Amino acid sequence: MTNAIQTQGLTKDYGSGHGIFDLDLAVNEGEVCGFLGPNGAGKTTTIKLLMGMTHATRGGATIFGLDTDRDSVAVKKRVGYVPGELPQFGGWRGTEIVAYLAGLRGDVDDTEVEGFAKRLDLDLSRKYREYSHGNKQKLALLLAFAHRPALLILDEPTSGLDPLHQQEFYGLIRDARARGATIFVSSHVLSEVEQICDRVGIVREGRLVTVGPIGELLGAKAHRVEIELADASAAAAIARVPGLEQVTIDGARVSGLYRGSFDPLLAALAGQRVVSLVSREPSLEEIFLSYYR
Amino acid sequence: MTLLRLAIRSHRTGAIAMAAIGAIAGLLNGVGFEQLVGTSPLERHAFATQMELLGRQLTYLLPAPVQLDTMGGYLTWRAFGTVALVYVFWALLAGTGAARGDEERGLVEEWLSAGVSRVRWLATRTGGFAIALALSIFVTTAATAAGAALVNDPLGMGDSLLEGIALYTIALFGFGVGVALSQLVVTRRVASSLGAIVIIALYVLNDAARSGIDIGAIGHLSPFYLYDRSTPLLAGGTFDVGANLALLIATGVLLALGAIAFARRDLGGTIVRLGGNGQTRPTARPSRDPLLRLPVLAGVDQQRWWTAGWAIGISLLAYLLTSLTRGVIDTLSGIPSLRPYVERLGLVAYSDFIGVIWFSSALLILSILVIVQVNGWAADDAEGRLETMLSTGASRPRVVVERIAALLVSVGIVAAASTAVVAIAARAFDIDVPGDRLVIATVLMLPVAFAFAAVGHALVGWRPRVAVLLLGIVAVVSYFTQEFAPLFSWPDWVKNTSFFALYGMPMTTVDWGGAITLLAIGVFGTAAAIMSMQRRDVGT
Repeated sequence: MTNAIQTQGLTKDYGSGHGIFDLDLAVNEGEVCGFLGPNGAGKTTTIKLLMGMTHATRGGATIFGLDTDRDSVAVKKRVGYVPGELPQFGGWRGTEIVAYLAGLRGDVDDTEVEGFAKRLDLDLSRKYREYSHGNKQKLALLLAFAHRPALLILDEPTSGLDPLHQQEFYGLIRDARARGATIFVSSHVLSEVEQICDRVGIVREGRLVTVGPIGELLGAKAHRVEIELADASAAAAIARVPGLEQVTIDGARVSGLYRGSFDPLLAALAGQRVVSLVSREPSLEEIFLSYYR
Repeated sequence: MTLLRLAIRSHRTGAIAMAAIGAIAGLLNGVGFEQLVGTSPLERHAFATQMELLGRQLTYLLPAPVQLDTMGGYLTWRAFGTVALVYVFWALLAGTGAARGDEERGLVEEWLSAGVSRVRWLATRTGGFAIALALSIFVTTAATAAGAALVNDPLGMGDSLLEGIALYTIALFGFGVGVALSQLVVTRRVASSLGAIVIIALYVLNDAARSGIDIGAIGHLSPFYLYDRSTPLLAGGTFDVGANLALLIATGVLLALGAIAFARRDLGGTIVRLGGNGQTRPTARPSRDPLLRLPVLAGVDQQRWWTAGWAIGISLLAYLLTSLTRGVIDTLSGIPSLRPYVERLGLVAYSDFIGVIWFSSALLILSILVIVQVNGWAADDAEGRLETMLSTGASRPRVVVERIAALLVSVGIVAAASTAVVAIAARAFDIDVPGDRLVIATVLMLPVAFAFAAVGHALVGWRPRVAVLLLGIVAVVSYFTQEFAPLFSWPDWVKNTSFFALYGMPMTTVDWGGAITLLAIGVFGTAAAIMSMQRRDVGT
């Protein structure tokens, strides 16, 4: 399988530890890849580098084999983009914005535009400044999807959308994927990423800390454990077992995220009276938070 | 205090630019007085007599001339009349910026949500402007006084202070107009345009009154009438406390009305709904306007009303200046002390006056148009429009070239409209203007606009935040260099540093070398603009 996106040591250094550093990431054609991280982690910086809006300090990236910096025009012909910060078009009407940008792009079918506008319930006759935040976001989605791109790069795409239109957005993603498009999406909404993504990369303080299939992240690497002991004085010893993270002790109850083989934990519990032991796969939110605590 | 500090800061660039313009105008006019008027009482008396004759014909533009044989009289007539108008326009823009521009950018919502009351917000923004204005006017009046002192004809310190106060009160009035009108419309641009019409109407009202047209007491309603009543720089002149108080009261009323309307209206809305209910038929289809999809013409089409506004404004001025041609040339030719200056300016025939006075004014106005557009290009980047355009696959060089080309089309439309009006007015006032020269002079304004636009775009790509300021300085210095070089007999190399000098006087002789130089600057500027655009990080 070829890569839709490939980065090699991609770095944008804004100084004082801000930016993105040594990013090595591959997104396969046809997959939906999520990019997670808190504010300031480097998600938008990465997306702007991929879109050729900013220049890398070092390293590089390709999209469908084209250099994102040198071949940025050819790249963008194949990409649909939703920016993290919506542009300001003042008194322009939606009809004019779409016509102008369609003219710049040159390969947009008005019938497609009409279809997407109806699907998103977006009235193009109104002035941009009169649009709510949600409607501005819908217009950004329309502009990204209308030319049926091979790759969609979406920075917080559901920001401002109501639940009904979030569902419509998921439908757009499903349809794009069904026709073979690749989608790279940054989001804070973990349930959304869990729902639409095949793989997820997590970025922290400008560095990619993990990347893998959702199922793998949710399952194999960690478990949420909750142990209730008969003797509360033993709780502290259990909390010190290697591999147990995010530990909370509440009397005789110990809970946390456990990584690795269960042997050390079971060995530690062997000499104790265990009232109950629950182990389950953590949610993506818990996985995500485990990288920040 | 934070809010006040931010309010002062938001007017910082304007205050500095206005101080620079006012100071240069005051200083050069002060220093130039002796050169122009002469040193002996006889020369000065002859100058004053003839210029007062001319000045009475120019009351459409300048205050009525009095005591032109004195430094105070000359500065009142030549410097402060124009400077006051320029300050009022800046104040108007500052008022619309404070009362509507900040709202458009979401700043007002932020501050109100932080617990700042609407009245306090507006009061603080007004206070910030008042402080910035005071500092700016202090620099202007100090530089003017310094210019006079340099030629040993000093102004009284108290008189300069009173002139500064008069300038201050009328500028504050402009701010009040901006704040009040901003409550009626939803964008700063429309508020500023409306305000400009109001200010021009009030100016013309006073002009009509001082030109002898009987309009009764209506002329006294103009703030410029109240401003003209103070003449502290004249010998035996007065500072009209009542007139200045009336201006302050009128400003207070405008600000109070603005504050009441602001407190009552919705954010992003207006106090009264103008022009119907604004409803349109819902649609899901893009606009059918074919121009929006064509390179270059899309940019022109987007700004059609803006271009039309410039064309109308500059055409009115073209008509006014052409109508004054005969009277001005006849009078200037009759003043012996002015003859060398007039000859250095190249004013021999009526058509020369149009060539020198009209086209130099038109160049300055078109340069301002270019600067306003450069400001729009910087805003495209800051407000995310450039990012959206580039995300469609438009290359950065294409964006640069299309922007400059679209601007040149707009400039061409505005220039052609004004030239047509000059031709019509010349025929109406029986002035023989060679048509071919008029066409050449008009076409040659395009290389000036091209050079300005290209340099402006290169600056935008390099430092968007300072591009407008730097380009404004280039325009003002070029204009003043061209205006004062003949007066002070500056060497040619100094004159040639002016962008406008490269334009030459095509109504008399076409300077092809200058035109080619301007085109070369335009081409190299465009190349530099493309390079800076290629290198920059969008949105930073």
